[in-house]
Amino acid sequence: MDTSLSTERNQTPLIVALISGLFILLGIGALAWLGLSIYNDPTIAAAQSAEGSSNGSVILSFLDTYGIILPVLVIAIGLYLIFLGIRINARRITAAVWGKQVLLWLLILDAYLLAQTLGNELSAPGTYQNFLPALLLLIGIGIAGLASLQWLNANETAFIGSETLSSRSSRIAWNLLIPTIVILIIVAARPLEQTFIASLTDERFASNQPVNFVGFDNYAQLLGVRIDVLPQCVAGQTIAGCPEVLETDETGAPITTFPRARNYLDQSYSDLRFREVSIITLPNSQVVLSARDRDFIQAIGNTLYFTLFSVSLELLLGLFIALVINSKFPGRGLMRAAMLVPWAIPTVVSARLWEIMLRDNTSGVINSALVNVGLLERPLAWLTNNDTQIIALILVDVWKTTPFMALILLAGLQIIPSDIYEAADVDGASKVRQFFSITLPLLRPTIAIALVFRTLDAIRVFDVFQVLLERRALSMATYNYETLVQSQQFGYASAIGVTIFIIILVFTVIYVRALGVNTE
Amino acid sequence: MNQSSEFSLRNLLGRIGFWFLILLILFYTLFPFYWAFVSSLKTENEVFQPATFFPENPTVINYESAFQNTQFTQGLLNSTIVSSVSVGLALVVGSFAAYALGRLEFRGKTLMLYAVLAMTMFPQISILSGLFEIVRESGLFGQLSSMILTYPIITLPFTVWTLTSFFKGLPAELEQAALVDGANFFQTFYLILLPLTAPALVTTGLLAFISAWNEYLFALTFTTVNPSAQTVTVAIALFSGRISRQEPIAEIMAASVVVTVPLIILVLVFQRRIVEGLTAGAVKG
Repeated sequence: MDTSLSTERNQTPLIVALISGLFILLGIGALAWLGLSIYNDPTIAAAQSAEGSSNGSVILSFLDTYGIILPVLVIAIGLYLIFLGIRINARRITAAVWGKQVLLWLLILDAYLLAQTLGNELSAPGTYQNFLPALLLLIGIGIAGLASLQWLNANETAFIGSETLSSRSSRIAWNLLIPTIVILIIVAARPLEQTFIASLTDERFASNQPVNFVGFDNYAQLLGVRIDVLPQCVAGQTIAGCPEVLETDETGAPITTFPRARNYLDQSYSDLRFREVSIITLPNSQVVLSARDRDFIQAIGNTLYFTLFSVSLELLLGLFIALVINSKFPGRGLMRAAMLVPWAIPTVVSARLWEIMLRDNTSGVINSALVNVGLLERPLAWLTNNDTQIIALILVDVWKTTPFMALILLAGLQIIPSDIYEAADVDGASKVRQFFSITLPLLRPTIAIALVFRTLDAIRVFDVFQVLLERRALSMATYNYETLVQSQQFGYASAIGVTIFIIILVFTVIYVRALGVNTE
Repeated sequence: MNQSSEFSLRNLLGRIGFWFLILLILFYTLFPFYWAFVSSLKTENEVFQPATFFPENPTVINYESAFQNTQFTQGLLNSTIVSSVSVGLALVVGSFAAYALGRLEFRGKTLMLYAVLAMTMFPQISILSGLFEIVRESGLFGQLSSMILTYPIITLPFTVWTLTSFFKGLPAELEQAALVDGANFFQTFYLILLPLTAPALVTTGLLAFISAWNEYLFALTFTTVNPSAQTVTVAIALFSGRISRQEPIAEIMAASVVVTVPLIILVLVFQRRIVEGLTAGAVKG
């Protein structure tokens, strides 16, 4: 944009050259710092010199210390600084204004590092041997940066051209986004990366064992399943795992027996510690699903069961409620407020409310009511009985989230123009017909979004499972929590986290594809 | 309702049936609160008797003992601090980002919008172990600041996303007028756009506050070693009686009522705004 001005270009002022030099120096410095600290890193050196070290363990210890995001960021910033420096030397106005912005953020970073260095020195004097050089360097950068910023602010005329509106707008936009980006890197991207890296190791907390790179072993362990068909034991035939003589009942007929999977199948079954998850008995054989980590496979089953039933019930019930209150009646505002309440209270509190209501004797109001009405003969232990505990959780979840679902669907119902219904009435279409050929199709986008949000929520369900069932039945999330906090298996828990992440990703993609959700 | 095809029958029974359904829905949504309230007024002994719909001798002793339980009161304080700080931070930082995404044109905007949207659905559980390590390494384990550090993952993307749609809805002439008058971007932002979005800020802040206040996973994980940093959700989940060894049900219910009442009041006051805020993103899609 400033090529036509080349004739005006005389000698670059000394200060511009100095500022440009500062940028280039800072850029090179960032790259050099990264290179040097990797080169000198004690853990990487240790991994390299260790007996029988593999490339895997060296790469692992690099990833463990630095990750990928941090080095990539440092390299990008370093290169950008060098690039800016060169452009400032060429007296481009765009480079100068972007340079000012960069300087501002660098000064903030510098002040933060300075405060941290001083704080460390004051709390533990003498532990950091490079304290003085670091301090001087940071102060030096601070002063040079501040001076450059001042000069650039005062002397924009030393640069050629004027900033275009789009450059200005995008410069301000990125400035405003930087805090959000930094925070999201710290709280989301970096932890996700660390979770993924740790999932490739056998790291444990509170353990002196060296950390090993195990590749995808954790995932193989987590997701290892096999399906086998076991034959029925027949008298007189030698089948591995079958008793020599079959047991008989009172009449003398042999009792139908099947070999245990670990006795019948080859050695690898027990070597890999497969255990039966579920068994389906057919007339002459059994189909056995076995898993290396039975708890996790059961947790997946529990979670999917919970998700399927709670989300569909919520949708049906929510749609019903939305249709009922989609008409003007006195007290509608109050009704909406009442419906927001279950949504607003903490899941933990709602879980405890229902825990009391579901108590296993007649002091629990649900049992008491069901027994009085005659639906139950005696009180049920809803939360400890294997058959009812997840049903009870579904009840709690449906109660808590249906009103919210209803409100979203209600909002969707209200944007359907009423003249469509009037026209349908004139045409003599029945209400049922109107519901299926007007309401439902027009509500589809709202239903889709509500379903996406609720499904993704239900898949990561933690609170109700943790509070109401503790370890009696696990969801994927509570299993992750148990593995991490109770068993301190950092590597293994991380693999669970990544697996949940992938499952949720798959569901999102399926939904977006199937229902055509528009993100904008 | 829709099944009845007889028009006259609908007219006859419609009103009654409608109000019956309304009452049924209200009963379904509100009964657990009624039950909690009734139980909180019963004595510990009465709670273990067969269920009755009214307390025999209403008593406030459970509320007294809940407020004497330091774990609970400390939890209330901790939750207030953690939620306020993380919501304040999310509103300040998030309104900057939302302004950029809602009002400015720049390369990479679509990508950032997608990233923020993806973040609003981010499963916290899947980064639990990564965060656990970061929190341990930075020495924040078992401290309130561990939650202040991590809650932005819940509050920030939501805030940015909601505020972006509010900023987008404002007329474009506003800034042009301000720019003509010689105001710079920041003056426009602070003096013109921010006051206009104040209602949106309140709504978004409230919704973010509720989600931070209700958070359980991080609070439970990061405070296992230090009960004095527990938030109120963890305190209620791990409630233990001071006197009886049995689970103090009536006291737990009293504590639950205490936690729920402020939320009910907020919801009653801001009902319209909350519904608008919650459904804004959903129905436009």
